[in-house]
Amino acid sequence: MQLETFNYDNRIVRNFGIATIVWGIVGMSVGLLIAIQLVWPFMNLGTQFTTFGRVRPLHTNAVIFAFVGNAIFMGVYYSLQRLLKARMFSDTLSKIHFWGWQLVILAAAITLPLGFTTSHEYAELEWPIDIAITIIWVVFGINMFGTIVKRRERHLYVAIWFYIATFVTVAVLHIVNSFELPISALKSYYIYAGVQDALVQWWYGHNAVAFFLTTPYLGMMYYFLPKMANRPVYSYKLSILHFWSLIFIYIWAGPHHLLYTSLPGWAQSLGVVFSIMLIAPSWGGMINGLLTLRGAWDKVRTEPTLKFMVVALTAYGMATFEGPMLSLKQVNAIAHFTDWIVAHVHVGALGWNGFMTFGILYWLIPRIYKTELYSKKLASVHFWIGTLGILFYAIPMYWAAVVQGLMWKEFTPEGVLKYPNFLATTLQILPMHMLRAIGGTLYLSGVLLMTYNLVKTMKKGKLLANEPAEAMALQPLLVNEKSMHRRLERKPALFMVLALIVILIGGMVEMMPTFMISSNVPTISSVKPYTPLELQGRDLYIREGCVNCHSQTVRPFRSETSRYGEYAKAGEFVYDHPFLWGSKRTGPDLLRVGQKYPNKWHFNHLLDPTTTSPGSIMPPYPWLISQTLDTTTTASKITAMRKLGVPYPEGYEKTANHELEVQAQKITEDLKANQVEIMSDREIVAIIAYLQRLGTDIKVNVANK
Amino acid sequence: MFNQITDLNGNEWYLISSLWLFLVFFIVVAILLFRMRKSHTTYMSQLPLIKEESENNED
Repeated sequence: MQLETFNYDNRIVRNFGIATIVWGIVGMSVGLLIAIQLVWPFMNLGTQFTTFGRVRPLHTNAVIFAFVGNAIFMGVYYSLQRLLKARMFSDTLSKIHFWGWQLVILAAAITLPLGFTTSHEYAELEWPIDIAITIIWVVFGINMFGTIVKRRERHLYVAIWFYIATFVTVAVLHIVNSFELPISALKSYYIYAGVQDALVQWWYGHNAVAFFLTTPYLGMMYYFLPKMANRPVYSYKLSILHFWSLIFIYIWAGPHHLLYTSLPGWAQSLGVVFSIMLIAPSWGGMINGLLTLRGAWDKVRTEPTLKFMVVALTAYGMATFEGPMLSLKQVNAIAHFTDWIVAHVHVGALGWNGFMTFGILYWLIPRIYKTELYSKKLASVHFWIGTLGILFYAIPMYWAAVVQGLMWKEFTPEGVLKYPNFLATTLQILPMHMLRAIGGTLYLSGVLLMTYNLVKTMKKGKLLANEPAEAMALQPLLVNEKSMHRRLERKPALFMVLALIVILIGGMVEMMPTFMISSNVPTISSVKPYTPLELQGRDLYIREGCVNCHSQTVRPFRSETSRYGEYAKAGEFVYDHPFLWGSKRTGPDLLRVGQKYPNKWHFNHLLDPTTTSPGSIMPPYPWLISQTLDTTTTASKITAMRKLGVPYPEGYEKTANHELEVQAQKITEDLKANQVEIMSDREIVAIIAYLQRLGTDIKVNVANK
Repeated sequence: MFNQITDLNGNEWYLISSLWLFLVFFIVVAILLFRMRKSHTTYMSQLPLIKEESENNED
């Protein structure tokens, strides 16, 4: 057999590592800013580009796709080469991948504060950036599979299965969740509406957590943990069971984000059942990781990298137990829309993703720089500061969630809501939000400490950009392998196809009936398309990111119908491209806000929320008064909506702006009658029109009866 | 653009079959596991630990 010499590409690993650190600091700093905004609204800084609604998606995108994304590529590029005993397939593709991904992140950092957003959570980027993401993801895929093809190790280690599943599933999720009809260079409408859009979004959203934040990290865990502990994985068989069960079950669980909404009950039930089942493979992975440390626990005391890994696995175990518990309807009834979900997500993000990333960085950077870590002591300090940060973040959030969730539901002995003013429940939890910001500060301080430590480490050593290695060339297989899975482990294409089939099953079973069966269509005759002014106002609502704080779906609970009005019906949302149900109630639900207050109230509220709601933490929106509504897009919006099935008459787009002006004039006249002078072409008029329309179709129906 | 249904009353088989689907899948994977040789799983689990020539500063 011939011994071949080759080099590992460490430069690309280093580049992704640096990008991980830089974007991590950016994303977490933005997170800290928005945490402070929720306590002190003046920290919205008085500009439209820095308000919570626009900046919150910047935080989520930065930490998910920039921090975690770059960390994934760092881990994959390091481990893949070594597990396959081959250099990456193409240095050029590696560079295109790296710079392309950074450009996508930069595009997100520019467009999101400018208000270009689709409003789908964790998929806010507009269609040209979606296309760029697709291209870069394909480049990554070609580079990964090219490396697999030219490998010198016949069988693919379990970490690589997770990478393959990640690649194929993220591709499917991204494409299906990005079916949009563009109306301009940076504006589009989802082809799905209402309930269907909600199902697609949360099928995507949940599985973005599964296949972007979980499976690649499990792959990295299966490679880096044995390396750090110098122990083989506890049970390879368990890893196989873990892998297949996890990717099969995860994809079904999305509907648990939509419990008690107007999503069909059977889809909700499927989501709940599979969420509960998900505990088994998740904990299988966690246990496999922790037991890998058997006989090496003494090292955990001295090695900061292992400390980070142990807390990461523990946080994974906690989050994957909590997730199924939150999907139980009884728990969800209290926890949903509260800070509980924020705490749950951050236990996963800060603990699982963050800590594993830090552990890998501390382990990997000294190795590719051929030196020792600058200071183990600083790394240990980082570990304890970070752990404290997580505790200071999560515990107040759980506290806030229980307090607010119960306050929302509390009735007096007389049978009326004890806290009818939503704001009273918000003010109650502000101290907890302050503590959360302290937690975030601690966590970020730890990251800054790590950055200093790693920069010093890099300066101490020298990057071994092309690390020499040698391995036997792969020889043709002469014996027939009996085990089917063993055969599968050397057939990457078949492996990818099987993984694809497995992840498609759940999505198809849940989506097909919701999309394809034409019986029992729950349309409501009184529900009509939005007027042109309301449609423009809706797009402003999307631009300002109102959906980040206000839901638009009333659940069928007495506490909610008493507070907001009639519970939400599927037929109310058939013209909503996209749906705007939201996932968090920092402010009250707005589904039935239409005609609840006069136009002047909305005007004052948007100009300065504290004038109508003293103590409100909502930022003011003065630019809605100074900025002119762009009506040049009305015709294309109406045409696009008609293409998507909204029954606007043919030729309506030609008269739409005239109708828009008439409605705007009516609102300004009403405002004028109430001592507010405003021109009818201002953005605030459109958003008032939209808010006054919300939920009124059902009210009209009741009035007609 | 798309139609939708509100419930699957009378078609509970659709939901039950989803669980059966997983059960069958799970059993197939379990059978594959039992048929796997220990020598192979031992070799595979050691893969990350195979020291390359260049890893001269391993612990």
